[in-house]
Amino acid sequence: MEVLALVLRNLLARPVRSLLTLLGVLIATTSMVLFLSFGEGLRRSLAQELSRVGPAIQIVPEGMEGLGFSGYPEITPKEYGLAQEAGRELGVRAIIPTLFLARGGFDPQTSFFFQGLPEGVAPDLLYPGVRVQAGSLLPSERGAIVGAKVAKRSQLSLGGPLRLSPRVELRVEGILEESGGLADNLIFVPLKPLQEVLGTENYTALLVALNPGQKAEEVARALEASLPGLKAQTTGDVMRFAERALRISDLVRFGISLVALVVGGLLVANTVMMSVYERIREFGVMRALGARRGFIFRLVVLEALLLALLGGALGLALGSAVSYAINLYTLDQVGLALSAVTPRLSLFALLVALGLGLSAGLLPAYHASRIPVVEALGRV
Amino acid sequence: MKNGDQATPPQLPPRIGANRESTMANLRAENLSKRYRQGEREVVALEGFTFSFPQGSTAVVGPSGSGKTTLLNLLAGFDLPTEGGVYLGELALHQLSEDQRAEVRLRNMGFVFQQWNLIPTLTAWENVAFPLLLAGLPPKTRRERALALLEAVGLLERAHHLPSRLSGGEQQRVALARALALDPPILFADEPTGNLDASSREQVASLLFEAGQARTLILVTHDLELASQADRILHLRGGRLVRVATPAPG
Ligand SMILES: Nc1ncnc2c1ncn2[C@@H]1O[C@H](COP(=O)(O)OP(=O)(O)O)[C@@H](O)[C@H]1O
Ligand SMILES: [Mg+2]
Repeated sequence: MEVLALVLRNLLARPVRSLLTLLGVLIATTSMVLFLSFGEGLRRSLAQELSRVGPAIQIVPEGMEGLGFSGYPEITPKEYGLAQEAGRELGVRAIIPTLFLARGGFDPQTSFFFQGLPEGVAPDLLYPGVRVQAGSLLPSERGAIVGAKVAKRSQLSLGGPLRLSPRVELRVEGILEESGGLADNLIFVPLKPLQEVLGTENYTALLVALNPGQKAEEVARALEASLPGLKAQTTGDVMRFAERALRISDLVRFGISLVALVVGGLLVANTVMMSVYERIREFGVMRALGARRGFIFRLVVLEALLLALLGGALGLALGSAVSYAINLYTLDQVGLALSAVTPRLSLFALLVALGLGLSAGLLPAYHASRIPVVEALGRV
Repeated sequence: MKNGDQATPPQLPPRIGANRESTMANLRAENLSKRYRQGEREVVALEGFTFSFPQGSTAVVGPSGSGKTTLLNLLAGFDLPTEGGVYLGELALHQLSEDQRAEVRLRNMGFVFQQWNLIPTLTAWENVAFPLLLAGLPPKTRRERALALLEAVGLLERAHHLPSRLSGGEQQRVALARALALDPPILFADEPTGNLDASSREQVASLLFEAGQARTLILVTHDLELASQADRILHLRGGRLVRVATPAPG
């Protein structure tokens, strides 16, 4: 019969109330873990994707930093020319203009993501390590190389037609092996037909491949200096920018889950306060027998902590399970694990639960330990 | 049953008697007064109470409102006097902090109240072991000592029952066993038989007086028959000690 056992005994004496409170904390923690797991998942996927992208530097229009490859192509052929000149002076290996086009709806099932490549450039220059499982790796003028997942999802086979617009039709010339990266979900086509469809001569981004020994940061700053209106961002820049954006969205998502957490905390406080009021005589007897005030204080705080930590741990477990299920789905659909319950998120969730228990328990505990013995003994 | 340590000899009846050689506990009240302020009015609950409690049983009697419970609250250090002091040997109880008084109670005093004595979520033996937990004794010692005490009050077979499954008399006997857990020199009882039927009353009273023989037992009651079994009787009236009587033996 240690103090913890005493606390447990009291919680078990009111099983329904304890269970309901536990459930409240569990739901609050689960929702928080899930909300935050999306930020962690994005971070993780992003880091993985970027580490697979070959070119160390991407040149994009100012204001488009970190937005990846969305948006209308704004880099003009003239700017491309300037960039090539600057690149030659700096001694970079290659400057590859590229263009992105998304076709279809929000449903990944019916969406296609095209990436345009200049003549003579195969996808493995941008995504090192990708290999073909059938056909060729280098698309011809009207050819397309299809990522493994797109091919499977949309049942594209070698030689089959691929319609970019009512007037532009390409032919599948190669199917890539599954790499686990972004390339699985892309269709690589020559730049020309994409520009035709968009009615432009522009590019979305210029990718800079470096020679061994070149420092990405230095080259990027030098390129930027000679290309007004353009930004040269390294993988690190993208990560930093994304991190900032993710942090803001983390805050927003934590703010939303805070509502659930506050409700969970109030539940615990309410339960513990009720249990204190019911036990004033009991505390009086304990103090009459020689218990110090700190003993009563610990008894009550431990009750709140136990409820919160148990609820928090169960919530973390449930959150992880749901996150796993979500990932099974999104991995299958878009090839990305959207949600991640990282060790630091787990730790954070448990710390939040701990804080919840403490803040819910301190006041009732203080109250319980301060009632005069005579008054406590007088209550039944 | 094995031989226990010196403080808890294993034989049956004497076990609830005190085992200490010396009766170090000299509990004294000097000019004790307690007044309560009620709005404009001042209620005098106890006034100028002076008495040195000797070893053996002392009953405190008096009509309702005469200050009996107030006196017990002050002697036990539950409350502080408005004037005067309580001394345990050299120790001025009324000058100690709340937690220090708790410690003094734990080591020196046992309590049996009129009712709701027991912690409802703990079984009989766990209730008896509770002061031993507070005193920091190891689990095995606690359990053995608690069971021995329950056996001494004739409730060994009820050891694993919750208080709600015990009769009123049984609850009071468990409370008595708990009061004796740390073998205190002083024993307080406030109307310990107030809620019991005649036969349980007899049983609890006889155990109580047996435990009080080698201790300082202070028994608050308005049951004159119970009081007459004590070694001496203090009569309170309107918060004042009006008479100290020694009942005829027998
Ligand atoms: N907390 C209190 N506030 C005000 N008056 C009190 C308080 N406690 C006791 N009294 C008064 O003090 C007197 C003595 O009370 P008490 O010691 O309980 O008497 P008894 O136990 O002999 O019935 C009574 O008049 C009672 O009303
Ligand atoms: Mg009274």
